[in-house]
Amino acid sequence: MATLELEGVTTRYGKVVGVEDLELTVGDGEFFVVLGPSGAGKTTTLKSVAGLVDMDAGRVSIGGRDMGGVEPYHRNVAMAFESYALYPQKTVFENLASPLRSGRTGTYDKAEQSKRIELVTTTLGINHLLKRFPRELSNGQRQRVALGRVLVRPADVYLLDEPLSHLDAKLRAAMRAELKQLGEDSSTTSLYVTHDYQEALDLGERIAVLRHGRLVQVGTPEQIWREPADTFVAKALGQPEINLLDGEVTGGRIVAAGGAVSLPVPSGVDVGDRVRVGLRPRDLDRADADPDGGAHRAGAERLHLRGRVHLAERLGRLVELSIEVGDTEIIMVAGSDHAPGEGDVIDMAIDLADVHLFAPGAPGEETARLGSGRPR
Amino acid sequence: MAREMMPGRRRFTAGSVGADLLILLWFVFSLFPIVWMVLLALKTRSQQTSTYFAFSPTLENFGTVMSRRGEDLTSVNFSGALLSSVLNCGGAVLVSLLIGIPAAYAAGRWKYRGSEDLMFQMLSFRFAPELMVVVPLFVIYNQTGLFDTTYGMIWVLQLVTMPLVVWILRSYFQDLSPELEQAALLDGYTRRRAFVMVALPLVRPGIAAAALLAFIFAWNNYVFPLILTDSEATTVTVAVTKFLGGGGQAYYNLTAAAALIGALPPLVLALTIQRYLVRGLSFGAVKA
Repeated sequence: MATLELEGVTTRYGKVVGVEDLELTVGDGEFFVVLGPSGAGKTTTLKSVAGLVDMDAGRVSIGGRDMGGVEPYHRNVAMAFESYALYPQKTVFENLASPLRSGRTGTYDKAEQSKRIELVTTTLGINHLLKRFPRELSNGQRQRVALGRVLVRPADVYLLDEPLSHLDAKLRAAMRAELKQLGEDSSTTSLYVTHDYQEALDLGERIAVLRHGRLVQVGTPEQIWREPADTFVAKALGQPEINLLDGEVTGGRIVAAGGAVSLPVPSGVDVGDRVRVGLRPRDLDRADADPDGGAHRAGAERLHLRGRVHLAERLGRLVELSIEVGDTEIIMVAGSDHAPGEGDVIDMAIDLADVHLFAPGAPGEETARLGSGRPR
Repeated sequence: MAREMMPGRRRFTAGSVGADLLILLWFVFSLFPIVWMVLLALKTRSQQTSTYFAFSPTLENFGTVMSRRGEDLTSVNFSGALLSSVLNCGGAVLVSLLIGIPAAYAAGRWKYRGSEDLMFQMLSFRFAPELMVVVPLFVIYNQTGLFDTTYGMIWVLQLVTMPLVVWILRSYFQDLSPELEQAALLDGYTRRRAFVMVALPLVRPGIAAAALLAFIFAWNNYVFPLILTDSEATTVTVAVTKFLGGGGQAYYNLTAAAALIGALPPLVLALTIQRYLVRGLSFGAVKA
């Protein structure tokens, strides 16, 4: 149990940047998620903490103690590798016993080793596999063994590299709940790496978003979701991706999509003459068929839109609609009851508070968030 | 599905028969010298130059070669040479493994300035003709007392065995995910224990292949023992040729018998660890 601090951590592989000037502080017992696409430097961050890669600059401290020059086996951290890194020549039991037998994670007699392994494998649902070798397991089972090798021992920091990525969807949801419980029970400081925004929002007490080895934003799931620092963060969270419309500021109003989207310039937001308007597909409501407007705040000011359904994709309980609005196309997600058909014209609405305004930029360029559409 | 997998009745086409004939021809071409050597080893001296296939075979030659009788005829202690071959090559392989395994691990795991050049330098020992280095070595060996000693042979055979061991094992270590050892480090094991506990057991097939190949290469070496030994540490390859005699006293039948005996140890070794051998020869180019 310990705090974890990264100060100016820079790790390069030759000329390739792993992470650049990373600043993070993880509180004692905090479950901290690092979110980012592949190649963002997530694994490098974990390995820098573990001491498995040589940092080019910066400092890692665990429990206030500088880890510079401290060997990995003296850092008292446990890590689940994305590649599992299970010892192929050892059985599941021996793999799990390995950290308990090294003598550096505490001393355990045979009975205590078995008890700990029994406990963790029961939680992870792999206690029937103890005599098997890793090659005899499915990827999902291997991943749980790798996770078990971390959880079986006490450590100052748990480092978890995509520990749920190879599980099938149902098991992943179950394991996510399990992991959340485990995190709360053990209250071990954990650094959890994922590219799955749902995992991040669900598990993280706080989330750091990485891109090209650099920190983009740190915050609670609520902050990251409500106030994404820029278009990159906004796009990384949410499926389908946020709609981004190029808008112009004319006569005190922001106008986009050839006039089909129009909202007043919110007070307190410093917009120039061009902005990008971000609308999350799930924040859009049907204003016609669904007069309550779903969960929108009573009395909140709303932006109204009208468009023609171009494509409707059923996803079980929900339906994903591609809608032509003015000269552009936006995506929204609606309930599949009374869903409009292709070609129907529908009315939509969104709370001004849920409208995100970003600085203007070329297509593909990530720009900072200026504020929401609600006047302050 | 399963039926298609069964070896069914083969259809004979002109192409397949032609291909089989070609393979057969190649077998005859490559195996006939060995057949001839076996026949020669079973002949008496009076029959040794006859090309007639019908003869009364005898195993006497093998006994002659291995005993004092052979030594009296040709002044070669062949059984002694066999023993020193085993000692020279076994010793050379052992030293190469002791030094080569850690060297290969380091070379496979860590890149530093000039690491590739160093590896190439090591491999280049195998490019250079042995005759090029053997003359200066002869002078050095004569002056240092290494001439005609087992130590001297083990020392010089490193030029043959060490590059093989290091290059083969490096590719095995490179195939191994470094995260396995990293996991061991985080389990609380030192680098040395991570190496012994995790990496080493996983390259055992590579060690077997490298050791065998190195042994065979060392065993077949001719130039070094020819120049750097006399009688004490001389090897099978050199001893075999002594049966060809000097002044018209050529014992072809004994030469053949000696060569057959000399080929046995590597053959037996190769057969016992055959399944590792192909993988070893491919230098880790393919994933197991």
